[in-house]
Amino acid sequence: MEPVNNEVTERQAVRVMRPESPRQAVSFAKRFRAPYIAGGTWLQPSCERDRQWPVHLVALNPDWPGFRGIQETEDGLSIGALTTLDELARHPLTALYLPPLSGLINRVAGPGVRHLGTVGGNLLAGGDLSALALALGTEVDVVEGKGSNRRPLARWFQDRPASDLLRSVTVPDCRGWGVSVEKLGYRERFSPTRATVACVHAGLQVQLAVCGEGGPGRLMVTEAMLRDEGIRELTDLAIVVDSELETLGWHDTRLRLAVRRMLESGLMEVTRGA
Amino acid sequence: MAHENSPGGVGNLVTLDGDSIRKATSAMDLAQRIEGRLAYATDQRDLSGLLYGAILRSACAHALITRVDISKALEMPGVHAVIKANDVPGLNCFGIVIRDQPVFCDERVRYEGDAIAAVAADTPEQARAALDAIEVDYQPLPVVSDAALAEQQTALHNSHEKHGGSNLLARETLECGDLDDAFSRCAVIVEHHYQTPRQMHAFMETEGGVAIPDGKGGVLFRVSCQSGHRDAEQLADILGVAHEQVTVESTVTGGAFGGKDELTVQPAAGLLALKTGRPVMIHLDRFESCRTGMKRHPVSVKMTTGCDAEGRLLAHKAEAILDTGAYASLGPAVLENYLDHATAPLYRIEAYRVSGRLVYTNNGVCGAFRGFGGNQATFAVESQLDELAHGLGIEPAALRRINLRSPGDAGSRNQTVRWTAPPAGVLAAAVASPLWSRPDTDTGRWLTGTGMAMGAQGNGLGDGLPDSGGGRISLSPAGRICVEFGFSDYGQNIVESIIRSVCNGVGCREADVEVLLGSSRGPDSGPTSASRSTVLVHGVLASILPRWMDVVRGHASRVSGHLEEGLAFGPGGVFFNGRQVLSYRELAESASPDEMAASASRDFPVAPDSGQPVGRYLQLQIATVARVAVDRLTGRVRVTDLHHVTAAGRVIYPPGYLGQIEGAAVMGQGMALTEDMTTRDGSYLADNLDQYLIPTFHDAPLQRVDVLDDTPEDDPFPVRGVGELGIEAVAPAITAAIEAATGVRVRRLPVDPGDLLVAMAAKEQTL
Repeated sequence: MEPVNNEVTERQAVRVMRPESPRQAVSFAKRFRAPYIAGGTWLQPSCERDRQWPVHLVALNPDWPGFRGIQETEDGLSIGALTTLDELARHPLTALYLPPLSGLINRVAGPGVRHLGTVGGNLLAGGDLSALALALGTEVDVVEGKGSNRRPLARWFQDRPASDLLRSVTVPDCRGWGVSVEKLGYRERFSPTRATVACVHAGLQVQLAVCGEGGPGRLMVTEAMLRDEGIRELTDLAIVVDSELETLGWHDTRLRLAVRRMLESGLMEVTRGA
Repeated sequence: MAHENSPGGVGNLVTLDGDSIRKATSAMDLAQRIEGRLAYATDQRDLSGLLYGAILRSACAHALITRVDISKALEMPGVHAVIKANDVPGLNCFGIVIRDQPVFCDERVRYEGDAIAAVAADTPEQARAALDAIEVDYQPLPVVSDAALAEQQTALHNSHEKHGGSNLLARETLECGDLDDAFSRCAVIVEHHYQTPRQMHAFMETEGGVAIPDGKGGVLFRVSCQSGHRDAEQLADILGVAHEQVTVESTVTGGAFGGKDELTVQPAAGLLALKTGRPVMIHLDRFESCRTGMKRHPVSVKMTTGCDAEGRLLAHKAEAILDTGAYASLGPAVLENYLDHATAPLYRIEAYRVSGRLVYTNNGVCGAFRGFGGNQATFAVESQLDELAHGLGIEPAALRRINLRSPGDAGSRNQTVRWTAPPAGVLAAAVASPLWSRPDTDTGRWLTGTGMAMGAQGNGLGDGLPDSGGGRISLSPAGRICVEFGFSDYGQNIVESIIRSVCNGVGCREADVEVLLGSSRGPDSGPTSASRSTVLVHGVLASILPRWMDVVRGHASRVSGHLEEGLAFGPGGVFFNGRQVLSYRELAESASPDEMAASASRDFPVAPDSGQPVGRYLQLQIATVARVAVDRLTGRVRVTDLHHVTAAGRVIYPPGYLGQIEGAAVMGQGMALTEDMTTRDGSYLADNLDQYLIPTFHDAPLQRVDVLDDTPEDDPFPVRGVGELGIEAVAPAITAAIEAATGVRVRRLPVDPGDLLVAMAAKEQTL
């Protein structure tokens, strides 16, 4: 077993480990059943609420290659998991690839949280970015015990070992796509998402996803209907969307009505002129 | 201030605009408060021997306590004392109206915030760890969670026999006229249920303070509170010491809104201080504050209102249930004020009967909160008027115009009232609001609408309750005009109001005045509540300033050799023929402080009628016009604009006036749209401000505050308190605007976007 000599901080009962590499981070997480910590904006209030802190934390290093920053690749836009929400909102490539994203991020929490909170943390908490990432067909680059692995975000959400370490996400080249994303919170700012709805018109097909109180999910059935039959009567679409949302775990009928309307509005927006 | 021509030529209408505020703002603590640099009582950690206290709270909403074992906690590192019920030397209970809340529960807990024991330790962490080591065994009891059913369930207070040992704490009915006859003559009758939420005060500074033993059995408390004198009396009884052995200094307080009217951390801190002989500080974190703190009474009311074919209000009936939670606190007084407002004080109604029942439940504790029950009632009353107007097919403003009282009319409880402007003038100014001329949209995503509501707010404790207060003025050894009141300043900037009043009265500079507030050793001014402070400050100063100036002038004459008649007060000192002959410091050095002091106490103004006073004599008014945008996709409501027309006497300090009206309005917006501390089986479902959502800057609308002031020059009460006025009419104005936008009338607060959306969708189906 690897010796633990990278511990640099001990705050009462919490031992924060600072691994030298992503692989070592995964190793520590497995060995100590320890959560990773990056921005800490989700972990801190959760622990304060429960008055219970983990015995061990594995601190992630944004200087590790690929973990922080935004760059164009031949597959699209690669975004490091430790990129802060603030950095993502302000980056010129965000404006180039995903103009609606900055507006969405400005409705995530408050400035202090956006300054610390990371893309990876938001995705793993099923936060506001999840719906858009799912609708875009985002892929994740994950560090595992045995090496690295790249797979669709939707699949990773379904079966994600706790020790998996997210290095980056890759958004396909979506320049020219129609993209709409809409958040419903309890108030204008600094509210958990009740429902965030993303619609993407990716050339030939429409991709839809949601996140919020019913959990994140891609609306594959609805997409298939749209692909096969186009946007027919909105009442038909409403029935399919409603059924699929309920299957995904969205049990509040009133919230489903809001999501349906947001989806319809988003669809109109992204298919306008198509 | 920007002057305008008053609509209809009524009174002097002034808009408090940004320029007037910038010119007038000099609040010394304002920047510190905004930037979080203001030192509260719990920031003073350099006290020698300071210990940190923590309170063990009940794990159950309702249970018998079968065992409390503190032995392990006593052995914990850093622990100096662990106390429980049998360590209370005096009364193990407190409460402003009824002392029914235990300092520490020994037999039974009645809500999840109940205190069972407390610890003093070297550090907060050690105190917290020791709490975890206290063992408590509970025998759960059925939880009383539904206020409507509470009277049929097991009584929470066995000793409360007033109403047959049930959970009915108080019931009250106000009535006038022959109600059945009046209803029989109505052309239109509307009957609806209304519900308002359990709102949390959400002050910046959570409850906290420090208790410092004097070594002779007495204790000095430095705490954030609202009534140092009253607290000192209760604390002496709890500590089992003479009243003069307890001193309470109400320190700079980061908001209270009624939530610090009752004792909070003081009993536990005081007992621990006496036990250890060392200062003990307790400061609740936000979780504990949410769990234990006072809340606004949720009210469920059925209201029936009728008018004749011409729109004259004939009959009005209300049956309300108020959930006071586990203990009484100020619940009985809240019930009284609720019913007072349920009589629709602004309007003439031929006959009414409004009744309310105040019940105990296991749902936390409710007590004083800005508006004090009045705004809950006004939400229902104003909504009823809109419903009647729709039933008659006339404009809501027209119905109000028909029924508004006139100056000189008696109040709704047949008491004499003193307005500062005609109600019709307030309505006229609101009807002239530019918000009405904004174009509404009924297509596209956002549906817009404008609505209005009115409200009345009385000053003072009312209903003949003992209500007096005093103040003192002297010349300090440093040569400053020292003004003392027992009030607390928790952000309302009463200090600035006092300074302005003294400067206006004396002719001195602001720098010449020193204000000392909140010591139970100083003058007893009564509680800082019920919008009473400003009225009392002005009244007391009006009484003592001339006397004090005579005394000082006489002394200055003797010292300077100038004739008294020729001496005048001015900036920095006393003048003769325009030349300063003595500075205030020189005057102070020439006599003892007591030689140049004056004090007075006066009763709060009540109606000069014979017999027992009812209701409130000094009345204020507000009309709030709200403009909203409702999201057709989600039912989400944005309040874009609020325009308030106020009639509350003369404005002494414009920034304070504006801050009170705007701040209260945003608080009312929170109550209308997002705030509700909901419970399940007696447990709160939110425990911090990331779950209990108050409005942020992004939610706050553009606001405009107008002042309509027709107060006569010789009015003996030209200055009124506006701490609660701004919240009075906001909620019904918002729901009226929502109805204008969507056609849907919301009668349950906070507005649920999901419910609203479903109702909007149903409306769309019928189109």
